Amino acid sequence: MKIATIVIAAALAPLWAQEFKLPNLDRLADKAEESTVVTLDKSMLQLIGKFDKDDPDTRKLIAGLDGIYVRSFEFAAEGDYSPADVEAVRSQIQSPPWSRLVGVRSKRHGDNVDVYFKDAGNGQLGGIVVIAAEPRELTIVNIVGTLDLDRLADLGGDFGIPRLEFSGARREPR
Amino acid sequence: MRSPAIGLLLLASSAAFAGDAAFDRVVHEIESHYGTRHMHIPFMGMADFVVKVAHPEGVTSFKMAFFEDLKSPPDAGAWRELDRFMESLPGELRPIVRVHSRRNGDSVYIFAEPVGKSTRMLLAVFEREEATVMQVKVDAQTLLQSIEDPEHARQTFSSRDR
Repeated sequence: MKIATIVIAAALAPLWAQEFKLPNLDRLADKAEESTVVTLDKSMLQLIGKFDKDDPDTRKLIAGLDGIYVRSFEFAAEGDYSPADVEAVRSQIQSPPWSRLVGVRSKRHGDNVDVYFKDAGNGQLGGIVVIAAEPRELTIVNIVGTLDLDRLADLGGDFGIPRLEFSGARREPR
Repeated sequence: MRSPAIGLLLLASSAAFAGDAAFDRVVHEIESHYGTRHMHIPFMGMADFVVKVAHPEGVTSFKMAFFEDLKSPPDAGAWRELDRFMESLPGELRPIVRVHSRRNGDSVYIFAEPVGKSTRMLLAVFEREEATVMQVKVDAQTLLQSIEDPEHARQTFSSRDR
């Protein structure tokens, strides 16, 4: 029995390793003029989806999600944060099953949005990480669960997720 | 026929009391932590009645406690301590939004809990020397608006803007 447990745990270990976890970002919060944390687990998303009768599309979209986690920081001046501050986030999503999308533009401010997705292997996405970096603003979004890439734009503007426009989006070669 | 009706009534009452207990516990914890007492707010009963009838901004009931002269005001340097304190609050309410602002000098916490067909939302706003805790029952739309725009929620409920 014990051996079976160890074998199962060993088999599942790579899957756990693929999960993205938002690291501790207290250092960024300390530097920021304003910091916002949004934590919506599956039960809260189900609640929102259940009662959001005006928007059946959002309800369907939410149904496949296990969680939406947003960390947003506004800084007083340019240069108050550096790319190194985001490295702990990027380092987790640099290798398969994660891929980076390019051709993604922020509607408001241009070209500073990186979207990484996890291939669920069945034609769907198994998770999405968005890093929206502007000179004085940084937003990191972790969407856990399955959804269509086309529907990601529908989530923009809701739940603290930046508005996104996908124009000619393509997967970046590994 | 009577028994199920009484049972349902008791169930509804116990759910309401559970919510009140959560709010009371949060108020008590803040009083203990900051060594202060919440202020009496006149006409709260009447205001609650009006809210129950009119449902302004999707709110169907509310309770509010206001604190002045916090003995250890939660300034920006004490955010982490405040986070730990708020996250350790008892009850079923789950933290969904947390905002710290050096610009305004305040911190906003939004907790939520599903209650039947609506959501119980607890909003706590800590300013430099004051704090406001409000518990409201809201519809999904109001909850979404509060998540998307905590600043609006802060302005709606904060003492500074009353």
